[in-house]
Amino acid sequence: MDTILLSILVVLGLILLFDIYFRIRTRSSSEQTKVLNLLQKLNDIILSSFTNVEDVAQKVSDAVAFDLGFQVGVILMIDEKKQMLRRIAISRTERVKAAVAKLGFNFKGLETPLNTIDNIAVQVAHDRVSRSTNSLYEVLKPHVTAGQARYIQDVGDVAISLVFPLTSRKKTIGVIILSLPKNESKVTDTRKKIIERVIKVVGIALDSAILYQDVLITGRELEQANTKLKELDSLKDEFVSVASHELRTPMTAIRSYAWMALHKSDIPLSQKLKRYLYRTLISTERLINLVSDMLNLSRIESGKIEISPIPFNFADLVKEIVEDVNAKAQEKKLKILILEQKLPQAFADPEKVQQILLNLIGNALKFTFPGGIITINFFTDGKVVEISIKDDGQGISQEDMGKLFKKFGRLDSSYESLSTSGGTGLGLYISKNLVELMNGRIWVNSEGLGKGSTFFFSLPVASAQILENAEQFHIKSKGEAKGLEPVAI
Amino acid sequence: MDNTKKILIIEDDQFLREFYQELLQAEGYEVDAAPDGDIGLIKIIAGGYNLILLDIMLPKKDGMQILRDLRVKPPSKFNGPIVVLTNLGQDAVIKQCFDLGANGYLIKSAMNPDQILAEIKTYLDKNGT
Repeated sequence: MDTILLSILVVLGLILLFDIYFRIRTRSSSEQTKVLNLLQKLNDIILSSFTNVEDVAQKVSDAVAFDLGFQVGVILMIDEKKQMLRRIAISRTERVKAAVAKLGFNFKGLETPLNTIDNIAVQVAHDRVSRSTNSLYEVLKPHVTAGQARYIQDVGDVAISLVFPLTSRKKTIGVIILSLPKNESKVTDTRKKIIERVIKVVGIALDSAILYQDVLITGRELEQANTKLKELDSLKDEFVSVASHELRTPMTAIRSYAWMALHKSDIPLSQKLKRYLYRTLISTERLINLVSDMLNLSRIESGKIEISPIPFNFADLVKEIVEDVNAKAQEKKLKILILEQKLPQAFADPEKVQQILLNLIGNALKFTFPGGIITINFFTDGKVVEISIKDDGQGISQEDMGKLFKKFGRLDSSYESLSTSGGTGLGLYISKNLVELMNGRIWVNSEGLGKGSTFFFSLPVASAQILENAEQFHIKSKGEAKGLEPVAI
Repeated sequence: MDNTKKILIIEDDQFLREFYQELLQAEGYEVDAAPDGDIGLIKIIAGGYNLILLDIMLPKKDGMQILRDLRVKPPSKFNGPIVVLTNLGQDAVIKQCFDLGANGYLIKSAMNPDQILAEIKTYLDKNGT
């Protein structure tokens, strides 16, 4: 935004310069050369010296004062915050310098409150109308006495002071004071017009310098904020990883001892006590799963995981996983059926696919009633390989379907199963993220509550074309690559 | 010949250490335990265990350092496999442990005691001493 403004200002300044240039080209004499030189200088300042407002002001003030034959040139800028008019640049002839030095003054940086209404510079800043005065005191009060002002005028050879408002973008940004020597006690109209036009350019030059300085300051502040954020981010990572490790030690102890109490008790347990212990155990498992899922989620979302796709046999991986979870299935009196198909190789990161499969099969185990059957089937159209995991469990209602793959998108109808199953509400969201990182798709079908559900996901086939460009499917991690925490079934 | 299998467990958390001890003793194993890396390393070097369960995050000397030290100073008596116990399901750490000579790993928080026992049996059987 500011950069655009800056460019507009520069262009505007140049247009104005050319405007003046063409106007005075019609006039002759040495004055013409003088003004042309001045314009050239202002032009150079606008184009090259956007470093520091005070430097620009000094250059502008020197150019305007000396090239136009003034004894003194002073630029004062309005400081809105402090409500002050501040002298940021002063150009003087040697005579004026000597006079001021004799009095022991240093006007540079001097601030005049904007409520000093009897000061002409302040008046011009408020009224935005140029003024002139024979008395330097009116320009310098209250900083000097009338006598001191008169001394500077006499010794420094200063007669009339012209005070112009400096404006840009319809705003007064300051004031410029130009003082003439005594032999020029009158300013011709033509000269005044030229000065007024030049001063418009001065306003623009200063405004763009201010803007540029603001841009620089904002840039520096942003950089600092960015460094700070980066530090915070790495602190957060460290905290999460330490906290999760520290959390897991006591959680593992609770889980282990609850299990021992439930299964290895040396006295018979009442039904009530069994239920209490079982619920302690399930809740602890859920807590442990939650920590794992949160860690996985933060790694995926911050791009800390790496996706290294290779061609692999999808069905073989599925069979391996089913073998691993069979014990759990039998415990719940569930049957897992794999319908074998001849499939082309898939192109994905097997480790991540395993994570997704464990999650989907784990869900099927959680939400299917004892005695149920989970059926795994495959499909391919030559471009993608697709797997379906169908259960005859409690199904999903139409309105819950949309929440399914969202973060903590737990469903009203599944809440009860969730708390008794150790679920976290993050598994499907994580799976969706992983599938999509591997250019696959994940979706679900259910006829409604009580009618079971079928989860699908697809992965690209390891076709010759894909293998040729294999490298572009590789996703590198931002910073140190992190693995995924295991999914508990 | 004594047929009882000897297992060394190096784990700093007292509750977890005693839990493993109890669990394994109940199965008829002879269990020795160490609460930190220094004592752990001394016991490993003394040797004679059928299986060593080694935690990674340990006071005084961490599990990975123990594995490194063992490459320089091998045990005086033969040991069975070293299985790394970890709560960090971090591939990088586990891979490093394998590179340093560990034979397997167990993620403590991801398993119930019966699953841990089953795994331990598999490791002991594999090395059928």
